[in-house]
Amino acid sequence: MLRFIARRFFEAIPVLFIIATATFFMMRLAPGGPFDSEKQVSPEVRARMEAHYGLDKPLFQQYLLQMKHLLQGNLGPSFKYPGRTVNEIIADAFPVSLELGLEALVVALAFGLAAGMVAALKQNSAWDHIPMGLAMIGLCVPTFVLGPLLISAFALHLDWFNAAGWFFPRDRVLPALTLGAYYAAYIARLCRGGFLEILNQDYIRTARAKGAGGARILFKHALRGGVLPVVSFLGPAVAGLLTGSFVVETIFGIPGLGRYFVTAAFNRDYFMVMGSVLFYACFVVVFNLVADVALVWLNPKLRFE
Amino acid sequence: MLNKSRVARNVYLTSLTACVVALLVGGCGRRETLTAIGDRTQELRINNEGEPSSLDPAVATGTIEHEIMSSLYEGLVTPDAKDLSLHPGAAEKWEISPDGEVYTFHLRKNGRWSNGQPVTARDFVASYHRMLLPSMASQYSYMLYPVKNAEAFNLGKISDFSQVGFKALDDYTLEVTLHSPAPYLLSMMIHDSWFPVPVAVIEKHGAIDDRNNPWTRPGSFVGNGPFVLKEWRINSHILVEKSPTYWDAKNVRLNKIYFDPTESTDTAERMFRSGQLHSDPQAPPSKVAYYRKYKPNLIHVYPLLGTYFYKINVTRPPLNDKRVREALAMAIDRHAIAETVTRAGEEPAYCLTPPNTAGYTCRSKISEDVAAARRLLAEAGYPDGKNFPTVEVLFNTLQSHKAIAEAFQAMWKQNLNINIVLHNEEWKVYLDSMRRTNYDIGRFGWNGDYVDPSTFMDLFTTDSGNNETGWSNAEYDKLVRLASNTGDRVARYDAYQKAEAILLDEMPIIPIYFYTRPRLIRPSVRGWYPNVIDQYDFKSIYLVPEDN
Amino acid sequence: MADTTPIAMAAPAETAGGSSFWQDAWHRLWQNKLAIFGLIALSFLAALSFASFLWPNITGYSYEQQNLALGPAPPDHVHWLGTDPLGRDLLARLLYGGGISLTVGLCATAVSLTIGVIYGAIAGFAGGKLDMVMMRTVDILYALPFAIFVILLMVFFGQNFILLFVAIGAVEWLTMARIVRGQVMAIKRQEFVEAAHALGLREWRIIFRHIVPNLLGPIIVYATLTVPEVILLESFLSFLGLGVQPPHSSWGVLIKEGAEVMEEYPWLLLYPGAVMAVTLFSLNFLGDGFRDALDVRGSKD
Repeated sequence: MLRFIARRFFEAIPVLFIIATATFFMMRLAPGGPFDSEKQVSPEVRARMEAHYGLDKPLFQQYLLQMKHLLQGNLGPSFKYPGRTVNEIIADAFPVSLELGLEALVVALAFGLAAGMVAALKQNSAWDHIPMGLAMIGLCVPTFVLGPLLISAFALHLDWFNAAGWFFPRDRVLPALTLGAYYAAYIARLCRGGFLEILNQDYIRTARAKGAGGARILFKHALRGGVLPVVSFLGPAVAGLLTGSFVVETIFGIPGLGRYFVTAAFNRDYFMVMGSVLFYACFVVVFNLVADVALVWLNPKLRFE
Repeated sequence: MLNKSRVARNVYLTSLTACVVALLVGGCGRRETLTAIGDRTQELRINNEGEPSSLDPAVATGTIEHEIMSSLYEGLVTPDAKDLSLHPGAAEKWEISPDGEVYTFHLRKNGRWSNGQPVTARDFVASYHRMLLPSMASQYSYMLYPVKNAEAFNLGKISDFSQVGFKALDDYTLEVTLHSPAPYLLSMMIHDSWFPVPVAVIEKHGAIDDRNNPWTRPGSFVGNGPFVLKEWRINSHILVEKSPTYWDAKNVRLNKIYFDPTESTDTAERMFRSGQLHSDPQAPPSKVAYYRKYKPNLIHVYPLLGTYFYKINVTRPPLNDKRVREALAMAIDRHAIAETVTRAGEEPAYCLTPPNTAGYTCRSKISEDVAAARRLLAEAGYPDGKNFPTVEVLFNTLQSHKAIAEAFQAMWKQNLNINIVLHNEEWKVYLDSMRRTNYDIGRFGWNGDYVDPSTFMDLFTTDSGNNETGWSNAEYDKLVRLASNTGDRVARYDAYQKAEAILLDEMPIIPIYFYTRPRLIRPSVRGWYPNVIDQYDFKSIYLVPEDN
Repeated sequence: MADTTPIAMAAPAETAGGSSFWQDAWHRLWQNKLAIFGLIALSFLAALSFASFLWPNITGYSYEQQNLALGPAPPDHVHWLGTDPLGRDLLARLLYGGGISLTVGLCATAVSLTIGVIYGAIAGFAGGKLDMVMMRTVDILYALPFAIFVILLMVFFGQNFILLFVAIGAVEWLTMARIVRGQVMAIKRQEFVEAAHALGLREWRIIFRHIVPNLLGPIIVYATLTVPEVILLESFLSFLGLGVQPPHSSWGVLIKEGAEVMEEYPWLLLYPGAVMAVTLFSLNFLGDGFRDALDVRGSKD
């Protein structure tokens, strides 16, 4: 097992390197630069600013410099926020996204597993169709619609919450619900599918024939197998969840990392983009690994894959 | 046996209960809103439309920063919020020489930085020196160009700052020498490029011309304004507190100002409605009509010193024919746009400069005359739009720009029978295209930096970096230069009228409307007045709790 | 790597006088009421949308015809679903937008399907080093944050309709490739393939006659489930301003514009939202139905 994990970490290094290179060249070759603004700066000022950040050097030289800095863990300065480094911005924004992501995950797992289990147990009945139908809403209503709807109902009309912001504990509720809805729906469907597969298999029938009680069967045998597809799905999904959602953070005014992914690309904030991409990539690698380890642990048959 | 029903029901009830509990705990009943708390504690909460790029006047780029900086710094003069007349700020009085080229400012002896040090004339000179340093690469250094040799120093043509027209005659006397009279100089001085910065403090934290110098962080920030920086969390909030060392602290009534950087106008409006903000400067267009009708005491719509127009690339056929340009400008209905598309009470623009800009109102006007437009188009060789090549309108991705462009597309099709294609580009790509004059017709907006027609007229001189149309007219250049070199208001405005007439005859631009501000503001905010540059006077603003 | 568990599938059985696998599957699908409802709803909407696509004035109004004087009006007998702030008929824009959204959905899915199947099949079939390199590339692409990647694509190539398909398809093919690879590897190991080898059948005959038919099940399921994802992705792009460009409409555009004004003009969100939701529901139910019918079991949705 440890060799497996070590090997995966080792393999991740060239992956990250390629991602960094691809990102570097894509960003630099895109039209528009960080210093373009509506009130155009004079060419002299522009030249000075570019020189300040080393953007006037030949492209390949900049690339090597960037790689060197990355190896040292230095993600560079931000153009959009002079005086702040990318490391600093990520360190400041990430905990917020992390908290939101975890809360959304809790919401998603709570709703999703519960609904999926019940639907599988009572397949093709109202207990199945209604929760699955509700789950569909999470899948079919985009977050930028769900968010304002929830705000309109609970914050503006019922006045239970603030419309935006991230200061009080109650500010977490609506964003977590909005972000979690899609994942709750997905998990519910996966869970139901996985559970059904297990419940219909022979060894469950055997256990039942042997007289084992309902809950025991459920939690001992089916859960392990039913959760398998959820784990597989969650691997990469959690990476996205924890690094933040642009839409939810914009609608609820949350100072998280998700916004930076989009705004940095729009602002051509080169170092911020590089930092965000690599940060996200690391997360994906780590969570893929966690998911794979969990899968193997849950289903010994996979060990030979 | 497996009792599915019981298990299922138990699972369900547990999760349902959990949700209900969570919701209840999360949101119980009526609470005191943040604005009500602010009313009690004299904490003003406003949205300033975006996260500031910097709070250093030499690095900052726009109005977002200016709003905050006007609480943290005080310039030589301060504007009255009602009519923008100029009051003594850091300078308690000043004299202007008869030829209009030398200004002598007498600074207050009790002016203090927030670290207790006195504000001296040397501080001002050092600040301007820094602002004009070529290595500072400050975007607004051009605001100091009326001063003798300022431009030369800034461009690196001379390296001796003592030749530049800033002199500290003694600790409290500042002499500013211009290269030619500039009657609008004092109104330029309310801009942050003229604010003083604590150069000694900056040098303690790093190089004087380093954009990334961390001196503006809370804790190390020092300013001479009525408020001091207390908290600054990027994309979350900025909090400033009343400065005890400010010379007029006893007349400052607010204790704190909370700046919210939300960019999304929808989110900001919801925050206003739920009692988190005292003021939201930009109500979304769809809500303006609603507020004006049902909650008129919460909304103020007032004109801004800015024009929304389309730039025309005069180097590309068929747009190189001025008859075509005129036809395009005449065949649209600006009123309809203002009324039905933007719906924030904008005034249609029939010329470039907004009316009554420091007393200047343009006399030339574009007339909206579809018949005349069709005639012009026919004369240009495209009768009834026949053979008119496809022309593209470029704008950056924003719902309002899109709606306006779509409306024009339909109008031009209907009135002139020509096909216009819409092309939106993402912001930076759009800026890049505009800069390279790589467009046919491009949407543009310009907010005046200071209240004087020159801030608009200077745009279209041949060497203006913001021209971007490829249009060049020697007579126009001459008139604008004449106006900027004389102090005689009558002569200046006369020159501008002539210049604007040329502009509207050649039509390298299609003015569309003058900006307005649909501002949402709670009645508890007192001492605030609308003005065309949307300047806050934080010294005079105070809060009175609303009776529920 | 987060791979799929080996997907087990019933091999096609052709017993004399019995029904084939596909006939069984169809029969099971027919029994699934939700799936059939989905199929009918989908067909109806698709027919309407494509009809309006081909005959733009089918409702009497075009999707781009503005009526500034009218402005946003609630539904009435003239405009059955009301108008938007520029006075354009919502029904016309909804149908036209439906055509666009479904086209984007189908084309992007087709793109992702083609790339994914070919890529995954090659990787799965070849195995060894080639497989490792190909899957590593998939890992790399997976680790790119979608938002940045699409923005850069759109920025590079302009906001072209075709590129919208390509950009979305370029993101969706990854999962398809993984699934296909997993499936191919599982099938490769099965006995009937060994038997075919033993019989001396040539490689590509084995691929086409034996492996590909067994791939169809998961591909159909996954493709059906990719279309709603694509449509949602397109709506996210519209939220960012990168989706379908004016004056064309799509569900993403309509929903985004509707969400902004949902308190003043609720019909602008209600109808597009409902139609899009019904379509996505239908596609998902249909996909589930296919999965149940074809008895495809897998750890990925």
